[in-house]
Amino acid sequence: MLIIDHLTKTFGEKKAVDDLSLHILPGEIFGFIGHNGAGKSTTLKCAVGILQFDEGSVLINGTSITEDPVKCKRELAYIPDNPDLYDFMSGIKYLNFIGDIFAIPADVRQERIRRYADVFELTEDLAQPISAYSHGMKQKLALISAWLHEPKLILMDEPFVGLDPKASHLLKEMMRAHCDSGGAIFFSTHVLEVAEKLCDKVAIIKQGRLVKAGTMEEVKGDDSLEEVFLELEAE
Amino acid sequence: MLKVLLKKQLAEVFKSYFYDAKKNRMRSKGAVIAWFVFFAVILVVILGGMFTALSLSLCEGLTQAGVGWLYFLLMGGIAIILGAFGSVFNTYSGLYLAKDNDQLLSLPIPVRTVITARLVNVYLLGTLYSAMAMLPTLIVYWVTAGATAARVICGLLLFLIVSFVVLILSCLLGWVVAKISVRLKNKSFITVLAALVFIAAYYFFYFKANRMIRDMLQNAAVYGVRIKGAAYVLCLFGRIGEGDWLCAVLFTVVTAALFLLIWIGITRSFLKLATAGGSTGKIRYTEKAVREKTPFRALLGKELTRFASSPNYMLNCGLGVLIIPICGVLLLIKGGEALSALNAVFAAMPDAAAVLLCTALCMIASMNNMAAPSVSLEGKSLWIPQSLPVEPGTVLRAKGAMQLILSGVPMVFASVCGAIVLDASPAARLLCVLLPLAFSFFYAGCCTALGVRMPLLSWTNELAPIKQSGAVVIVLFGDWILCIAMAGLYLLGGHQIGTVPYMLIWTVLFAALGTLLLRWLDTRGARIFQAL
Repeated sequence: MLIIDHLTKTFGEKKAVDDLSLHILPGEIFGFIGHNGAGKSTTLKCAVGILQFDEGSVLINGTSITEDPVKCKRELAYIPDNPDLYDFMSGIKYLNFIGDIFAIPADVRQERIRRYADVFELTEDLAQPISAYSHGMKQKLALISAWLHEPKLILMDEPFVGLDPKASHLLKEMMRAHCDSGGAIFFSTHVLEVAEKLCDKVAIIKQGRLVKAGTMEEVKGDDSLEEVFLELEAE
Repeated sequence: MLKVLLKKQLAEVFKSYFYDAKKNRMRSKGAVIAWFVFFAVILVVILGGMFTALSLSLCEGLTQAGVGWLYFLLMGGIAIILGAFGSVFNTYSGLYLAKDNDQLLSLPIPVRTVITARLVNVYLLGTLYSAMAMLPTLIVYWVTAGATAARVICGLLLFLIVSFVVLILSCLLGWVVAKISVRLKNKSFITVLAALVFIAAYYFFYFKANRMIRDMLQNAAVYGVRIKGAAYVLCLFGRIGEGDWLCAVLFTVVTAALFLLIWIGITRSFLKLATAGGSTGKIRYTEKAVREKTPFRALLGKELTRFASSPNYMLNCGLGVLIIPICGVLLLIKGGEALSALNAVFAAMPDAAAVLLCTALCMIASMNNMAAPSVSLEGKSLWIPQSLPVEPGTVLRAKGAMQLILSGVPMVFASVCGAIVLDASPAARLLCVLLPLAFSFFYAGCCTALGVRMPLLSWTNELAPIKQSGAVVIVLFGDWILCIAMAGLYLLGGHQIGTVPYMLIWTVLFAALGTLLLRWLDTRGARIFQAL
């Protein structure tokens, strides 16, 4: 579903991502962990086509993000760490905007908006301007917009930040359901307990380089993910 | 603490002078000097020159008539209107809508310090505007009437008083706008409407100014006596400039007291207004039938919504939407007469009025440059168009199309009105419609291209990309230079090839350049946008 191959991205002199390779298969929830500034967000942005990279390749369902970005973007959804949405729109207007971009038929779109807005208890607030939303509400709206076109691949940067416990729980269920139906999810997080319970595979990145990756069992063995992470960070 | 906040505030205002957003690095010393020289030339030469000419036309006559105070009253009044008009919306958005309000209020900084730092910013901007009128006023008076110590000191004191009156008015009006905004539903449009009334009044007096000045100079003594009788306080205000110490002290004390009152009022209401979420009540969501749109139409709709959501955006970059049709109506009413007069003046150049009419319409078209700050206004939401499955060229085309629609439709109306009243050949009349339209097409492409070439994405106040970005300044002045060139070349010799061929050349040129710009947006512009 997503192949990141020898990805390198530099900002001036600094290598933010250094020769990183990852394969995310259909049906997988793939967690991406690392300390602040390790290169997680940069990797996600490169994978989505927001950032141009120096070396390597990113393939989404076999298509290169650099060669046919529009085709790739049709199959994915991305949520950044800070959901800066269009403040000047109402929630429903934003969702319809996304629906139009992805050419979702009106009846399908309405049914999905109804379903996901109900799940996240956002229906009542859909007519409100986004500028009046709290951080959590914006995050919920960003999640609905990501699920709206039922993408095959969802990339999320710290998706649990700002969500209330109920919404966090619902998101975990939605992530699992998405992957069970053949989709894939690649997300970064600092919440290691969540990653440990939720992810099928995990990758740990340090100073732009991949230090460990594999199934949860392969990475953590008999230890907790937190212990493994702290150990790798200390090296 | 105040020093730190002031540094931050000023760094934000002058950021584009020191920092090259495109190259993501600080500008060289030479580039910084060049930017400041450019800014100074605009302020001192163009605007300062205008007010120097006005001062020269008034000063001698009024001082000789023994009503020098009337000269200072008039020029001081102009400076106050100019300053308050220029900074009222800056006060509103800079004081109450700044994006870092929440962050600063969460820090251990007294609210008063935050307000003071913001007000210094408003004060500097207001003073800058009023200085353009006040400095020529004082210098011309000192040269004409003589520069005694009393006149110089009191004159400078008058400038100080004027600058604080501007601050008081800006704060008061900014506070009123903020207070109204909290309660209104369609606040963007109502704010724009209020501003337009203000602008209409401004232009009404501006157009009447010449006649008023002539009248005033001819009857200076009479007006002097009348004003003295009806509003003696105004006479006292004017006397400050003449070197009256008592008036200077009196007005300084009154202005300081008024400012203190305003400052206390703002300090007390700031938190409530700056953190108000609006008291218009929650809008209840009801499901409605959805009309599907193509990605391009969706992006265009988004651009139009963005435009309509911000009074600052509409007022600074879209006044032409109203002014162009108003010009059309004025052309229908008075245009025939005016254009015939132009044809008579340039009798040696048949149909010269057609070229001049097109020049005027193209110049008015420059009032609509909403595509120029459009890329910058994406700000932190830039990830949305960059991560969506649309070609970057389509995103840019939507921005250009917004301007083309908002300028082109009013332009069709205005130019058809012009063509109706114009006494010219059918071909010249047709070109009177086509040339401004071709120009609008070219100008929309130009604004979009410069917008993507000179983006200003990290801002805390939307006025920064709307008013202070290089793209906006260049398209505005570039348009004027181009229009002057179009008329100038015609008058200098272009008329020899005939009016219709001359207009046809410009029409084809604008259409061709517009098409090239469109191609550029789809290719290089798209690559730049994706790499932002």
